[in-house]
Amino acid sequence: MDIELAHLLDSLPAMVWTAQPDGHVNFINRRWLDYLGHPAGRAAQWDWQALIHPSDLSAVVAQWRSVVATGNAANIETRVRRSDGRYRTVLMQCKPIRTEQDEISRWCVTSIEVDASRHRGQALAADPDPQPKPSGADDLRLTIDRIPTAVWSARPDASADFFNQHFLDYLGVPLEQALGWGWTHAIHPDDLPDLFDTWIALTKSGTAGEAEARIRRYDGQYRWFLLRASPLRDESGEVVKWYGFNTDIEDRRQMEATLRRSEAFLAEGQHLARMGNLSWRVASGELIWSEPLYRIYEFEPGTPVTLDRVAARIPPEDIPMMADMVEGARRGSMEIEYQHRIVLPDGRIKHLHFIAHRATDREEVEYIGAVLDITQRKVADEALEKVRSELAQVTRIMSLGALTASIAHEVNQPLSGIITNAGTCLRVLSADPPNIEIAKETARRTIRDGNRAAEIVTQLRALFSRKAAALQAVDLNEAAREVLALIAGDLQRGQIVLQAELTDRLAPVRGDRIQLQQVIMNLLRNATDAMQEIDDRPRLLSIRTEDGADDHVKFTVRDAGTGLGTENPEQIFQAFYTTKSDGMGIGLSVSRSIIESHGGRLWAEPNDGPGACLSFTIPQYSLADPAIPGASSAQPPASLELS
Amino acid sequence: MTGLRLVAVVDDDESVRESLPDLLKALGFRANAFASAEDFLSSATLAETNCLILDIAMPGMTGPELHQELQRRGLFVPTIFITALKDETVRPHLIEQGAVDCLFKPFSDTALQEALGSALPSE
Repeated sequence: MDIELAHLLDSLPAMVWTAQPDGHVNFINRRWLDYLGHPAGRAAQWDWQALIHPSDLSAVVAQWRSVVATGNAANIETRVRRSDGRYRTVLMQCKPIRTEQDEISRWCVTSIEVDASRHRGQALAADPDPQPKPSGADDLRLTIDRIPTAVWSARPDASADFFNQHFLDYLGVPLEQALGWGWTHAIHPDDLPDLFDTWIALTKSGTAGEAEARIRRYDGQYRWFLLRASPLRDESGEVVKWYGFNTDIEDRRQMEATLRRSEAFLAEGQHLARMGNLSWRVASGELIWSEPLYRIYEFEPGTPVTLDRVAARIPPEDIPMMADMVEGARRGSMEIEYQHRIVLPDGRIKHLHFIAHRATDREEVEYIGAVLDITQRKVADEALEKVRSELAQVTRIMSLGALTASIAHEVNQPLSGIITNAGTCLRVLSADPPNIEIAKETARRTIRDGNRAAEIVTQLRALFSRKAAALQAVDLNEAAREVLALIAGDLQRGQIVLQAELTDRLAPVRGDRIQLQQVIMNLLRNATDAMQEIDDRPRLLSIRTEDGADDHVKFTVRDAGTGLGTENPEQIFQAFYTTKSDGMGIGLSVSRSIIESHGGRLWAEPNDGPGACLSFTIPQYSLADPAIPGASSAQPPASLELS
Repeated sequence: MTGLRLVAVVDDDESVRESLPDLLKALGFRANAFASAEDFLSSATLAETNCLILDIAMPGMTGPELHQELQRRGLFVPTIFITALKDETVRPHLIEQGAVDCLFKPFSDTALQEALGSALPSE
């Protein structure tokens, strides 16, 4: 060791000793010697071990050997006999000093007395030596200053007495300004009251704790920090010091805020769209719902959801649909789409549209889906449909009115001639003398006008018949389904419960699809109209298709309505017979003429209970027998509206 | 025969033009038939017509239009409308406009006789 370095070390206000790379002590500075009360002089042969507390000695020797062997910096804490003969705890920070070739040239050990009742961190903080030693660019104090986190300590009265350099650099203020309560100037004004309260509460209760607050950086920007503090107590349990460190959580905060925002966006979007989403693990039945979905179903948010709980909201008539949907999901279909209604405890009805697709990246069948509340759309649709239906009805009546007026006009012209001529004929014959010539002429004209009227009727029939019935193989089930789709809105509005028993593999019939659909439509409308006033029993409408006797197909419509209104079921097939206040009473007579033109039969029977049952049978389609008796000759009025 | 009053029939329907004059003659009138309002207006007998039997719906000028045209010219000819369109609402309207009556086709000879009786009271 050169003299100059020895002088420098001696003048340092720190306790330093050095050792050879092999661990042999080769220098102890002045301050150390003073501390130990050791006589001055170079102490190469210094018996330092004699100064170590006997109980600590073996551990210290072992630690030091280990330090020398590994070549790594380390701290050794031990009790050392001071000049006054008392043992004091001293922390020795051992650092290797390396050559440019990275070989250890020397060990430099800085030592600090650590009061027995104190923690070494505090001692370090209170180290009066703020300057790093020339050789120890990495001594403990430096380490603490350089730790990329804010470290501080405070007195039991809560006032700060230390901040590390990292934190001071962050604040951009010198230590003196931050000490005591100076640091509070850097806390965001909005956060300060809470932080202050928390901190005071902690120091009063003496418990460790944490708080979050924004702290102003040197450039004026506030960043979020997590501030943690924990107390150090003496043997009697008194808090003697607070230690703390502050962690920058700005990025986490921002991430949280971004996440919260996007969650809020999603929730708000779902709320606006009246939409919720869910995941559904079919095998385990596990359902995870988004908060908006709870709102749609009006379940308590966060409560467990099961299929049974959902099913309890579904009206009984929609349960089979749900069962189909669940069945499809169990089979693992890729897409689910289904509309259903739910009935809320207060009786309100919501229409929901559920769409989901199967997540393909997992083994278990899991669906990710969305539920849309389409009630408003549905209600609007229904209102629109009602208006459309009413409009159609009005149009029907109006066109029928215009039609009859036109028929009346056409027929009345020749009738007028007939009556005038007949009247004239009578008068000239009863005149005195009778004018036979005029009588003959008027009688001739009467016959001519009578023929003319008959001709007009024939023309009218031709006008309202199809030129040729479009005969084809008709699937009555399919035809019925199309009609049901057309009047689904009416059925729903009329609160009609529909029971359709459409026999599988029904034989096709030969006929005119449109005409047959008009008949089906007419029978269904009559049935629903007959149940309009029924309130004391379900408005049950059953339709049924089946293969009947003699290669006929049978179609039956049964209602629970007001019945036939007559002892004689045949009466209802007479034109203009009606039990309806607003009906023309020609629907069933036209229907019968259509069915008969198909070689079939249409009849009515009263039910055992309330209501009526109308059935028709028509022959099956058969390639061997292309002709249908009456189908082409009798031409039922296809475009006359049925009501 | 010159003392008989003249009844003009204006109707686009030929069977009416054929049959009504014969009935009118049997009822003791002279009769002239015209197929359109325009024919009647241009006819020489317009001025001496005592009564008009007028169809409502005709191509060209309609019955009510002819009726108004005559009134515009100061010719107040008692008019009986006839129509094949049975619309009860037109009848009070036409009577309000000065028509004697409105008969719906087909009408009986007695109904016509009664209407003519109101149109041309006996002297």
